[in-house]
Amino acid sequence: MIGFDLVSKRYEGDHQALLDVSFRVDAGEMAFVTGHSGAGKSTLLKLLAMIERPTNGVVTLDGQKFNTVRAHDIPRLRRKLGMVFQDHRLLLDRSVFANVELPLVIAGVTPSERSRRVRAALEKVGLLSYEKQLPSALSTGEQQRVGIARAIVAKPAVLIADEPTGNLDPQLAMEIMSLFAEFQQVGTAVLVASHDLMLIKRMKKRVVVLDHGKLVADVPATEVQ
Amino acid sequence: MNAVREPRRAAEPEKTRRTEPHKVGAWREHHAWSLSISLRRLGARPLGTLLTVAVMGVALALPLAFYLLLGNVQRMGDALGRNQSISVFMKPGQNAGMAETAASALRGRPEVADIAVRTPKDGLDELAEVQGFSGALQSLDANPLPFVLSVQPKPGLSADDIARLVDAMKNTPGVDMVQDTGAWRQRLDALLGVGSRAISLLAALLGVAALLVVGNTIRVDILSRAEEIGVLLLIGASRPFVRRPYLYTGIWLGFLAGVLAVVLAVLLELAMVGPVSRLAAAYDGSVSFGGLPAWLLLSVPFASALLGWLGARLVSARQIRRMAAA
Repeated sequence: MIGFDLVSKRYEGDHQALLDVSFRVDAGEMAFVTGHSGAGKSTLLKLLAMIERPTNGVVTLDGQKFNTVRAHDIPRLRRKLGMVFQDHRLLLDRSVFANVELPLVIAGVTPSERSRRVRAALEKVGLLSYEKQLPSALSTGEQQRVGIARAIVAKPAVLIADEPTGNLDPQLAMEIMSLFAEFQQVGTAVLVASHDLMLIKRMKKRVVVLDHGKLVADVPATEVQ
Repeated sequence: MNAVREPRRAAEPEKTRRTEPHKVGAWREHHAWSLSISLRRLGARPLGTLLTVAVMGVALALPLAFYLLLGNVQRMGDALGRNQSISVFMKPGQNAGMAETAASALRGRPEVADIAVRTPKDGLDELAEVQGFSGALQSLDANPLPFVLSVQPKPGLSADDIARLVDAMKNTPGVDMVQDTGAWRQRLDALLGVGSRAISLLAALLGVAALLVVGNTIRVDILSRAEEIGVLLLIGASRPFVRRPYLYTGIWLGFLAGVLAVVLAVLLELAMVGPVSRLAAAYDGSVSFGGLPAWLLLSVPFASALLGWLGARLVSARQIRRMAAA
């Protein structure tokens, strides 16, 4: 589902963010990407979100190689991804419903179908009763859950999250991670960048460890302690 | 949190493809959404919308007002100059046969529509009808008036054609003097031509101004929504999708400004009816007020909407391309 094959990324100023990184995450698999600050976690997710292009190597999503993707095909590929951001990236002048609805609007789904799917997504994250609220009226944890509902509402094949629990207390963080695990169980490939080792250990999922842009460990779920 | 499980199709690409809407349906939904969101955005800042529409509306009403004015001056000229003819005075002592010979010679010219031969007696009778002249005329021993040819030129002749005809008349044997009473009309036509050109240029300039007003409004709107645009692009929106609400905003602004321009022009028409009616009465009703044609009034809002779309298109394409690249 997600493939990194000898992927390197060098930014201007000769900063080597990633070097020869190779791994795969299949459908129905959940993996954490971890490492210290500056290890290359965010760069890896940016490559997957097609915000950046690799300097070398091949990134694939659902069999499609990003290296050969033309600019006008990027939006279509991004629709296969559900993205959760640390800072939520919600539109503050729109209701919770309108925020979650956006991917479906982009996909051209009819209003009645949109309504049904948005409510299903909000119900899944436990925020159905907040649909008319503005995001600013919600707590940080609730805003993050709105971000997750937006990421899953279009039923993406891949869910990626960049430090989704960075601003949350441990209990809320665990609830959010449990949600991700649920999506994994229904066949979605889930890739979460996090530096919260305690949380990662509790989740007992596969862990990809980066250090100074290199993949230094790829620990299967069964070996996570 | 409610942990309701989605069916397995949630992450199965083939199934997902099957549930994707048809292209035409998606296109329709995109437009419906863009249209509604553009209206909501305009409604969310009513004062800004009102000011933009007012500036554009007044700018577009100006050429309409000048067009109205020019059209009425033209109508006035037409009404007053409708029966203007060129008078050809025969030399004293010329008889009816000589006048008829001169008339026949001029009838053969392509510029001439009609010629009436007015005898000295006709002239005397006309003078007698003028109050105060009858007593003076009775004191005359003989009729001093010459034969006069009243020449009606064909409509649509240029000033050069008329000048050529006048020269030909002057060179016709037996002719004493030629009086071109339509010369003022030619000067008026020339002035109207200048006015018409000036209005076209003014309309073009004000059209560009309206386009710039929309463009700047959209530019500011896009800049204030940079974060929103970034999010939309990240979650899979194409540039045309992001651009579309701004295009609709441009269309709405243009259309509303066009409607306002028409309303202002109609108000101006109504304000002019009274003075023009009084002027008409002074000319025995031969002058009448002419309003702006219906086709023009109907087309202004749509042409203005097109301007709004163009202004929004030019600005949004550039701005959003920059944001996508960034």
